[in-house]
Amino acid sequence: MYAAEDNQLVARVVSAQDTRAFGELVRRHQSQVRNFLRKLCGDITLADDLSQDCFMHAWDKLQTFSGRGSFIGWLLKVAYTTFLQSKRKSKRYAEILEEAGHATEIEDRHYSVQPDEVGDLDKLLAVLTDEERAIMVMSYACGLSHREISDATNLPVGTVKSVIFRGKQKIRTSFDIKDHQHG
Amino acid sequence: MISKIINMADRMKSAEDRLLESMFAAPPIADDGFSASVVGKVRRRLWLRRLALPGAALLGGAIAIKPLAALVTLLASLSALLPQELFGIIAGFIPQAQTVVLGALLLAVCLLGMRSLED
Repeated sequence: MYAAEDNQLVARVVSAQDTRAFGELVRRHQSQVRNFLRKLCGDITLADDLSQDCFMHAWDKLQTFSGRGSFIGWLLKVAYTTFLQSKRKSKRYAEILEEAGHATEIEDRHYSVQPDEVGDLDKLLAVLTDEERAIMVMSYACGLSHREISDATNLPVGTVKSVIFRGKQKIRTSFDIKDHQHG
Repeated sequence: MISKIINMADRMKSAEDRLLESMFAAPPIADDGFSASVVGKVRRRLWLRRLALPGAALLGGAIAIKPLAALVTLLASLSALLPQELFGIIAGFIPQAQTVVLGALLLAVCLLGMRSLED
């Protein structure tokens, strides 16, 4: 079980609904998925809830994994979709409250971090849009290739490259990266 | 060949890329029961799905048994009201027409019930 490749484990889950094989897949990839969502949300509790949802969606949709790309690439696509769905839901909820005339003081699930917890990376991520943040994190934190990011975000490879370029420019103009290099 | 070149181009990283990678790098998150919790949820969902159909069929059957019995009684009483000659004529064309009509009605009710359960 532990030596099996991701694709073999996926095949076991799809063919026999093997929950042990699925558990092994979760154990292998939970750290990357949770790190990805933590960087996207900036909220550890929300990110972990979304990670659970992501793996539940992955269980439901595992038969759609073709095995062509890496499993983590496919999993991050599910995670990104889960994140976007959650954002849409909270936005819709805020709109309904607003329409009903209530003061909308619900927590905006947009990227936000506590001022006393702001680190270099948090500052860096805060200048990016959701899409830029997701793509930059997939590229620099998860090590996905442009092709894999394109598959995960349903964007053309050229767009992925230009988003990364734009993200880097934003970071460059907002921060002096060389300062970070020397602490 | 082209894809190999694209992959190589992807991997040719500048100093800035390496710096960004080091800034984005995060320590691995300990599992701490996370995967067990996910697998537990998956198992519960599987059990619920396995129990849902027979459970719904039992419940639907329990609810439907009384109206079904009443329907059968009503149909039987209605058939008694019809002139026996009519059955004789129909039976000339289709043997056991009464049973066929009753069976068709029951089948339609069952199909409708199954459809609503699926919905």
